[in-house]
Amino acid sequence: MAQKRKSLIKIKPKKFKDGEVVKVSFMVMHPMATGTTKDKKTKQLIPAKFINSVKFNYNGKEITNMTVWEALSTNPVFTTYMKINGKGKLTVTYTDNTGEVNEKSKKIKPKG
Amino acid sequence: MQRRDFFKKLGVVAAVSAVAPVMSFAGDKPKSKNAMSYATAVHAITGGKTAKKSAKVKLKVPEIAENGAVVPVTVNVESPMTSSDYVKAIHILASKNFNARCIDVNLTPANGKAMFSTRIKLGGTQEVSALVELSNGDFLIATQSVKVTIGGCG
Repeated sequence: MAQKRKSLIKIKPKKFKDGEVVKVSFMVMHPMATGTTKDKKTKQLIPAKFINSVKFNYNGKEITNMTVWEALSTNPVFTTYMKINGKGKLTVTYTDNTGEVNEKSKKIKPKG
Repeated sequence: MQRRDFFKKLGVVAAVSAVAPVMSFAGDKPKSKNAMSYATAVHAITGGKTAKKSAKVKLKVPEIAENGAVVPVTVNVESPMTSSDYVKAIHILASKNFNARCIDVNLTPANGKAMFSTRIKLGGTQEVSALVELSNGDFLIATQSVKVTIGGCG
């Protein structure tokens, strides 16, 4: 079950060369509910809904894979580094504890 | 200050103080199936090996976090990141959260630099640690205590 979520992949610096190590941030709008908090009005427990897996794929090769638990903040950010290795595509796949699978990709074009 | 200005400001203060308790820690009544204590989590990751304290691991967390719901954490590890010597995994742990594990990051030499940064929730004043697994099987650890003024349901 896929649901549309706002997400963003940011690469710093914007212009990079082949072989350079760049900073990659992945942001996603997600409630990250722990399942232990109560709704203030209805006094009902808010069911757990959190991302449990994030994978960074670059040209078909997995570079980073993360196992995530409840303790990440709402609308989480994942920042790491990546070595540019030719033209291609960076794909981020993230899975939810309820079985929701989503994907976000960004083209990578090194200059020079 | 005029009278009407005073009432405007009073309204803002009231709104903020009404919202703040919503984010309070829910206590240990509803238990998550993922609940795991700090010692168990460390043992599960290291498999009984002792983690050495090291200056190579740089953990950056604010000493005083005003809002426990959003605490920025940055882990930087000095490593050449070549195929023979690299950082295999970075684990971020919070000692008093009901589930001590926050995130496990598995890195590869293709990362080029061993760094990871995110934002976590903390249920109260506690210690945050970064447990680093190297490619040769060694474990390094860095710990810092964080004072939380408003808990963040974590």
